[in-house]
Amino acid sequence: MSTTQMMKGILDGCLLAIIKNKEVYGYELAEKLGEYGFLNFSEGTIYPLLLRMQKEQFVTSTLRKSTAGPKRKYYSLTEKGEEELERFTERWYHLQRNVNNVLNHETSNQKELGE
Amino acid sequence: MIKQEAVLSKESRKFLDDLHVYLFSSGKNEKETNEIIEELKDHLIEAEKNGKSIEHIIGISPKSYMEQLSKEMSVDYKSWFKYIPLMILGVFSIIIIGDVFDGPLSYSLLEILGSIGISSLFLAGISFTFRYISANQLSTVNELIIFALVGGMPIGLFIGLIFLDRAVSTPTISFGITGTIIIAVVTTIFLIAFSYWAKTWILLVIPAFFSLPDFLLGYTTMVESTRLIIGTLITYGGIAVYILLSNRKRKT
Repeated sequence: MSTTQMMKGILDGCLLAIIKNKEVYGYELAEKLGEYGFLNFSEGTIYPLLLRMQKEQFVTSTLRKSTAGPKRKYYSLTEKGEEELERFTERWYHLQRNVNNVLNHETSNQKELGE
Repeated sequence: MIKQEAVLSKESRKFLDDLHVYLFSSGKNEKETNEIIEELKDHLIEAEKNGKSIEHIIGISPKSYMEQLSKEMSVDYKSWFKYIPLMILGVFSIIIIGDVFDGPLSYSLLEILGSIGISSLFLAGISFTFRYISANQLSTVNELIIFALVGGMPIGLFIGLIFLDRAVSTPTISFGITGTIIIAVVTTIFLIAFSYWAKTWILLVIPAFFSLPDFLLGYTTMVESTRLIIGTLITYGGIAVYILLSNRKRKT
């Protein structure tokens, strides 16, 4: 599996978490993701995800005039979105724990076998 | 607005234009389409200010990015039910205006049904073509070839229909002189209203170029074959010049 494929479901959750913390617009979201280290993904990928999350009513958007000039679409989390974020967090920790267990055990086994 | 456009690179502007055409010809909701275009425009402006390339935003393949967006957007069936009959009426108006100059109107059932069929097929073809051209990076020559093929398709089909109509007889509806005049007036009003609504004169320009040269040359003393050649030249040359001029106007 390539990183991009693996990322898709994970990005969803990260977007929800960022939006929960603060109302943001698209470019801000991409910047935040970049700051957190998600560097090699095309920033535009967030828009299809945002469209879908709006359809599923996890996020809502409002058009607001920004100080810079153009009207911007700001996203905020709905109640349904908060629930989804909780579910994602749970799934993620579970997955993370399992993967860590596998990697820790198997790689240390290999080391023992190698010696 | 104007300041923003200047900030955006040519590449990004082309992408946004292509995306607009792609989503429109995929029948996506107009409001949603405009919103996502605005959002991406804003994003691209910010990104370019920070020295990011367009690939960094939309990935290596514009086509697959357009598909991704399109997949998440709803199709606006309601307005397509409005547009399609209007466009078919537009095609009929062009045919009617062309025929009015040849005397009282009369159409066979086959001609009427065939014209509806050909117009629908043509609309489907145009929609497919625009989607294809906007999603794929083609050279201008290839684009022109595709447009010529798709544009030529209804001409070929209409010629086929004329021959079929001669071979097969179906009930004919004839309008007298009064009927023809009423239809001509109604059609002209429709064409003008439609052009005003769609903000383009193309529906008036094309039938005018198809019927007027023939009609006016009929008053000259030229031999028929000369008349035919000159008429055809004016028709296609005129339309080509019109499209070129309006293209140039759109670009500036």
